[in-house]
Parts: sequence; structure tokens; C-alpha cells
Amino acid sequence: METVERNLEQGTSDQRWDAARVAAQLPDGLRLLSRAMSVERDPHVREAILTGLARIGTPESAEAVLPDLRSDDSQLRATALDALRAMPSATGVHLPRLLRDADPDVRLLACDLVRGQSAADAGRLLGEVLAQDSEANVCAAAVEVLAETGGPNLLPLLKQCASRFPDDPFLAFAIRVAGERLGAQR
Amino acid sequence: MVFNESKRYFVERRISERMVATARTKFTDYFAHLRNEVQGEVEHLINAFTVNETYFYREDHQLECMSKDLLRDRTLTKPPGDTVRIWSAPCSTGEEPYSIAIWLLENWPQADTYNIEIVGSDIDTRVLEAAAEGIFGKRALMRLSPELIARYFHPLDDERWQILDDLRLSVRFSRVNLIETEETRREGKFDVIFCRNVLIYFDNESRRIAAENLYDSLLPGGYICLGHTESMSRISPLFEVRRFSDAIVYRRPWEKTA
Repeated sequence: METVERNLEQGTSDQRWDAARVAAQLPDGLRLLSRAMSVERDPHVREAILTGLARIGTPESAEAVLPDLRSDDSQLRATALDALRAMPSATGVHLPRLLRDADPDVRLLACDLVRGQSAADAGRLLGEVLAQDSEANVCAAAVEVLAETGGPNLLPLLKQCASRFPDDPFLAFAIRVAGERLGAQR
Repeated sequence: MVFNESKRYFVERRISERMVATARTKFTDYFAHLRNEVQGEVEHLINAFTVNETYFYREDHQLECMSKDLLRDRTLTKPPGDTVRIWSAPCSTGEEPYSIAIWLLENWPQADTYNIEIVGSDIDTRVLEAAAEGIFGKRALMRLSPELIARYFHPLDDERWQILDDLRLSVRFSRVNLIETEETRREGKFDVIFCRNVLIYFDNESRRIAAENLYDSLLPGGYICLGHTESMSRISPLFEVRRFSDAIVYRRPWEKTA
């Protein structure tokens, strides 16, 4: 384990990649990978770190990935989302908090992560977004996911959401399309 | 589609997979589920058969790309007599690795200049046994001309042909699970990997692990060919996309970014 830790911290890119690939199987893997995640800048090595965290697949390993959702770098956000999608159970624990985050961009990304949850959980989580979120874009992201995962029971919530944003033509359009799709399941 | 007795195992396997997918433990339960066409099960079952059934020279535009572009690139720095390693994973019952062998003999003028090593791997030992046996029916050979069949196979009866021993013994088969790093590592490094129509069936976590294993299994600058509906860019940002006239393939970069 000491070799893995040393290589993760001081090794060449190849050594850090190899170390990141085996770290998830070590007893202290979460600590090693979480620390590497906070300092590693090589995208290639970061991929292996993210895969390792996904392999561990606990709420704690998902937690180590969450800071990247706030990054200004779209590539970092995208790779973090991919890793979180690979551990849906672990990510699910964090979703209620992420969906209430002060940053609407984080809430928007969190809506996409709800896709990995069960249909019942997705309906519950995104139903709250439709009812309460102050940003039309976040609601639109929730509508997009619900159109794929939801059922006709969500139609009243969609209608209520549309009424909260009467001046937003895009959201109205998205809700109409989603409503037609969900209504067709009756 | 017609499945004769030699395909019994495939039929059983596909049905078993669908029973697992639909949480049916008894065949009678699954059959009722199928007959009632619950949640489009007929289509799921058909897809299970068509997606996994393979044949010689399938997606031969990639084979064209291999002989025309990929191997030219890979042999730029290899002296004559050096080894070119090609991996077919998963190889199922051997159609793909034997196709690669036949294609290179027919279409790559330098086939005699290099030591070509073709490895076929699969997780399923029963398909590997069938692959090593090298016996194929009409459907598997449908894309091959009568001349090619005559050159590389000998008939066993009206319905079955066996690939010639020289060719059959030139392909090595091994059992490998693509998400087990120790198993993929054992096979060494390759110049070209054919990994078609399997990653799409993995969950996200397994796909990430498999993509990293495949990356490790490629020599720097080596190429990987996926199925035409798959995209490595979505699976993993580790690879570079390379567009050739016959196919889009993915490459392990020569140099890493940092």
C-alpha cells in the first residue's frame, strides 16, 4: 500500500495511473483516491482515480467527486458526472442536497444524475424541483428527465410548474411535450 | 432466421439471459411473459438473437481499414519479421479472429513480412471450445465468396464447414473477462484490438473498468475498433478518435497530456 500511496503522490504519470487503478482494491483506497482527486491534474490519471472511486461506490467516494460539479472547467464537470453516473446508489444519497444547492448550475447537473435513480425516487426528487425551484432552466432539466422516467401521476405537478413560470415559452413548450408523453401512458 | 442444431447453445443462452433480465426463474413463466408481449419482450428476444449472432467478414469496412491504414501505421516503426499482435475480444465462436486471419492473407501484402499473432478471447469457455473447433454453418459463411470458402475451409457435410487446420491452429484462444484487469493484463499488449458490440451491454462502472483495461492492453499508438453503434468518446476520454476512409476507430495516444 505504501508503494501505491507513494506512486500516487510522487510517481510519473504512468505510475500514478497504475497506482490509481489498483488503489480502489486497497483497504485505505478511499483515502488515497480522495486525496489524489484533490491534487491530480493529469486528465488521464484522473480518469483512473474516478473509476476507482466509482468502484468503491460509497457515499463517501461519491462525495470526493462532488467538488468537480462546481468547476469552471466543463471537462472536469463532464468527467465528474460520468463517474457519478457509474455509482448511482452512492450518488443518490447526495441528490436531495444537490438539488437544493444554492448554485443553479449544480442543481441542473443534479437533475441529470437523477436519471440513474429508480422511477419512484426520480419522481419524488424531481417533483420537489418542479414545485419549488426558482430557476426555469433547472425546472426544464427536471422536466426533461421526468419525460423519460415519469408517469401520468406527475401531470398535475407539471401543470403547476408551468403556472409558476407563465412568461417562459421554452419551459411551457417542454412541459407540454412531456405532458403529452406522460399522458399517453394512461 | 433459422437456427439449426449446431446453434442450440446460442438459443438456450439468449433465452436464459432474457429470463434473468425479466426476473423469470421458470421457462414456463418466461414463455407466458413472451406470449403476452409484456413490455415489448418479443422485440427484446429478437434483439438478443440478432445482436449476438455473428458471421465472417461482419463490418468488413473495419477489416479494410485495418489492412489499409491501421497496420500500415503500426508497421512504420517495426522491422520486417517483427510481431504484429491483434486481439479479438470477445471472439464468440471464432468468426471474428478467423475473419481477421483470412482478410490479412487476402488483402494485406505484408502479411508474410511480419509475424502476425491473432488472439481470440471470450468470457465463455463453451464458445471458446467451439471457436477452437472451427466448425461453421452456412449463415456464418454467408459473406464469404465460394472461392474463399474453398480456399480456407473443408466441408464436413452439406451444412457445415471446418476451417483448415493451418489457419485454425494459427489463432490462439483464451478465456478473458474484460473487466478483470489481471486477466486482460495476462494477454499482453496489442497493436489492434477488435472489441465490438460488447461495451454497450456493460453498466457504467464495468464499462469504465473495461475501457481502462483495453487502454492498458494497447501498445502506445495502438488502435481499437468498436461496433458501429458504439462510441469510445462517450465510454472513455482516454482514447483519440481517428477517422479513416473506411472506419472511425480509436487510438491509445502516443504521448499523454501531462
